[in-house]
Amino acid sequence: MRRFAQVGLLVLGGLGLLHTSLFTDEYLRYVKEGMRPLLIASGVLLVVLGVAEAWAGRREENPGGHGGAGRAHEGHGREEPEGHEGHEGHEGHGGHAGHGHDHSRVPRVAWLLFLPVLSLLFYAPPALGSYTASREPAKAVAVQEDAFDPLPATSPLPITLTEFTQRVQQDRSKALGGREVVMTGFVTPAPAKLDGWYLTRIIVSCCAADASSVKVLVQGIAAPKADTWVNVTGTWRGSGTLGTSSAAVALDARAVLKVRKPPNAYMDALPLPS
Amino acid sequence: MRETDIRPAAATAAAGRARAAGDARPARELPRHWPLLLLGAAVVPGVLLVLVGRSLDAPAMQAWRTVCLAVTVQALPFLLLGTALSGAINAFVPARVFSRLLPKRAALAVPVAGMAGVVLPGCECASVPVANSLIGRGVTPAAAFAFLLSAPAVNPVVLTATAVAFPGSPEMVVARLLASLVTAAAMGWLWLWLGREEWLKPTVVRHTGHVPGQSRLTEFRRGFQHDFLHAGGFLVVGAMAAATFNVAVPRTLLDTFAGSPWLSVLFLAGLAIVLAVCSEADAFVAASLSGFSPVARLAFMVVGPMVDLKLIALQAGTFGRAFAVRFSAATAVVAVVCSAVIGGVLL
Repeated sequence: MRRFAQVGLLVLGGLGLLHTSLFTDEYLRYVKEGMRPLLIASGVLLVVLGVAEAWAGRREENPGGHGGAGRAHEGHGREEPEGHEGHEGHEGHGGHAGHGHDHSRVPRVAWLLFLPVLSLLFYAPPALGSYTASREPAKAVAVQEDAFDPLPATSPLPITLTEFTQRVQQDRSKALGGREVVMTGFVTPAPAKLDGWYLTRIIVSCCAADASSVKVLVQGIAAPKADTWVNVTGTWRGSGTLGTSSAAVALDARAVLKVRKPPNAYMDALPLPS
Repeated sequence: MRETDIRPAAATAAAGRARAAGDARPARELPRHWPLLLLGAAVVPGVLLVLVGRSLDAPAMQAWRTVCLAVTVQALPFLLLGTALSGAINAFVPARVFSRLLPKRAALAVPVAGMAGVVLPGCECASVPVANSLIGRGVTPAAAFAFLLSAPAVNPVVLTATAVAFPGSPEMVVARLLASLVTAAAMGWLWLWLGREEWLKPTVVRHTGHVPGQSRLTEFRRGFQHDFLHAGGFLVVGAMAAATFNVAVPRTLLDTFAGSPWLSVLFLAGLAIVLAVCSEADAFVAASLSGFSPVARLAFMVVGPMVDLKLIALQAGTFGRAFAVRFSAATAVVAVVCSAVIGGVLL
């Protein structure tokens, strides 16, 4: 990879990271909020590296400037196909290794970095949605060791999908019985035999590669378009006994209201007061 | 998607014009075809993505791109940290420091280097370039490999994450620490016993340290940049492979294996290899695999930071393919055995 491409890749990579983490919040489609300072620092570092490389290149071009390390290798012409595994069996390459610091030439595999870099800048893929959620079983919620706190008196009661699932299957006091709740999530189609659709949240513990989902089956109101973000108001009325693992995590919906997609979608949060 | 639909035709025309213009350029000091290369690099991936995105099932393709980008974005800061450290070790730390710190006998240096993994906070992407520069600085490869394997699994950040992910079961943290250290040391000794230098790519000679008469800062910058671009390319290869498995293999398959104790250990070890979850997060993933036995989940956390698709790609790039294949296969076996034994005793 020639110097100019390296400069371009470093600067574009830095700008891509800054674009995704500093100027927009697109990075939340891929990683957690806590990564933001690291991503901004990485972006700045890459831009600085690219500028330093370009600066060093200019100084070496001026006669009388530093006859630095890179200069000697410019005459090498195109990069050799040594990047991948070309070295194996090439005993004759030993002379090349003897160069010592041959850092001005980077193997071709580095070109692949342009894919994520340009994707970040110009063609950012959306956050994971109903496609991923429909292919995975719902995440097993943690078992609540202590007794559940009493529910607040507000009605409808704002609640997260995780807490709803826990209360339905574990709360022996059956505090949810007859209570009207409101939850926010996006729409995932459910198999036809279930006669409903899933209100879904995707939860991520580090990056989108480890996504898992919580789902609540919504019945009584026709499904909006997949991936639409909605507030659903309703009461538990599933099969099984409330407060035991036999209880179905299902909601009899009274109202479904479209809402805006939250910027930080990979977490299970309470609905915003509307 | 809709705005970019017209891009292929326009882009091909533009590329054609640029090619004509590029050929007419006189050869100068700057690379001859740099505008063409840049334009091609800018246009071709986009065109490919649009074409492939349209021809394949669109949501699957989008999920693939999201996961691939997520793995890359998550790993980039740690890769930068690792390559910066490796550049700094190469340019600023004299080789005699390591020969003084590590025991003379290689068999003793292995466990010491494994313990030293505690000091590198980060995930596995950082440890490959650091291990490479350690070898360049005269550290015996066996010790460097023990460090490479243990660093991502036993550092305080990862152990804290494990403790948070498994509240109320500190024995899981202890088991992870022990199994990772034992695996790392065992692999170091195995290398002393069976390893051969010729499996290693000769480019490790590249890290020659400080050359008198050159600016250390320039050496640092160049080494850093070279290692980052090099490893970054292989990171993308690994991220693509991991994303492919992530999207193609439905998680419902997990439940099939959860029942049998032996199969579940092997299966979660295999899952750790193909999912390529960063070692700082794998404890949370392991905790969410609640249908599996604790031993199987321990195997997931021990194998994951040592062998996974993006690590194999990074090692193939850094040390050569001949090494990466043998080393990863052996590490996977040793890690599964260690976690089964230690998990069986402790959990």
